[in-house]
Amino acid sequence: VDVAKRIRDTNEGKIMKNQVRRDLIGGARAMAPWLLGVVPFGMLIGVSAAQASIPTAAGWLTGPTIYGGSAQIAAIQMLDAGAAPVAVIVTVLVISLRFVLYSAALAPYWRNTPLWWRLLGGYLLVDPSFVVGIERYGTEPDRRRAHTHYLGGAVLLWISWMLAIALGATVGAAVPASLHLELLVPLFLLGEIVPKLRDTATRRAALGSATVALVCLAVPMHLGIAIGIVAGIAAGSIAVRRKSPATDDTNGPAPADDETKVLATVPALSTEESHR
Amino acid sequence: MNSYLVILVAGLGCYVLRMSMIGTDRVRLPARFDSSVALVAPAAFTALAVTTLAGILLDAGLAAGVNVHTVVATVPALLAIAAGMGVVFWTGKPFFAVLAGMPTFWLATALLSI
Repeated sequence: VDVAKRIRDTNEGKIMKNQVRRDLIGGARAMAPWLLGVVPFGMLIGVSAAQASIPTAAGWLTGPTIYGGSAQIAAIQMLDAGAAPVAVIVTVLVISLRFVLYSAALAPYWRNTPLWWRLLGGYLLVDPSFVVGIERYGTEPDRRRAHTHYLGGAVLLWISWMLAIALGATVGAAVPASLHLELLVPLFLLGEIVPKLRDTATRRAALGSATVALVCLAVPMHLGIAIGIVAGIAAGSIAVRRKSPATDDTNGPAPADDETKVLATVPALSTEESHR
Repeated sequence: MNSYLVILVAGLGCYVLRMSMIGTDRVRLPARFDSSVALVAPAAFTALAVTTLAGILLDAGLAAGVNVHTVVATVPALLAIAAGMGVVFWTGKPFFAVLAGMPTFWLATALLSI
């Protein structure tokens, strides 16, 4: 009886291991298309870190600490320009506010999970990992398998991101200053904005942000960037509210569930991580 | 505060934002917040781009001194911006801004230095 039980346990263990491996690979596969956009962006951040006046290692450190493309670029650019620490931190946090939404959308799936899982899963939470994860949680009834799928995609993304930044930093350090690679980042940022300008709210947000940031160019500690961002968001939000007054909290139709609402915000935001 | 410390504090703040809602469903964000969040990226990108470009153009102009060369010195960067934005507008591919803008900048710089 003991031998039979042991054989059964061994077989179940093997099946479990295979399932975990399959789910990890499934998550990594789901993440693969995102890497096409993420890797060049990571390299660009590495190049900008190497070209900036801050230590290249500090630029690379934005990867494992801030872990969000646009916020990393903002931190590197502002530190390079000599912005005040408070201005840098506030700007990074404003740009990263969307993580609160992602966190809210995943919270129901991560309830009753061990603390270590939440600490790790939360750390790995960024636009592509959120999309890969939430799609699986919506279709996979077995939570444990969905967690493994999320982990497979999120870990692959994290490793690729760190390697891409390191590669960009290595290449960027060897490039002569006469090539003026400092123009790379603003060109890249403008490239991200231009296709979205067809949308009224986005156009107003961009215009408001640009105008206020330029007017506030002389504001000390480079606070003009943070002020410009807030002004742009305000200008865009006014356009959104004028466009759809019926979607007000109290009078509008029944709101979509959290996931749908959050996913709706992802394509506009995730471009900074993937520029597909 | 040195750059390492700033980055660490900013990173810690980002982690707090990521963890803010995990573990509780009692705290919910107002619905109007959703549409505003989608505007953060374009607003941030624009503010960063224009201030960085303004810095580059001012540096180029000031380095040339206050004369006709002040304007000429900014031409390569302005052409790069125009080429980059034009190509993206035409193709809809964001990364083409870099692919079109940088060669334009190098070409214009080379031609003006002849």
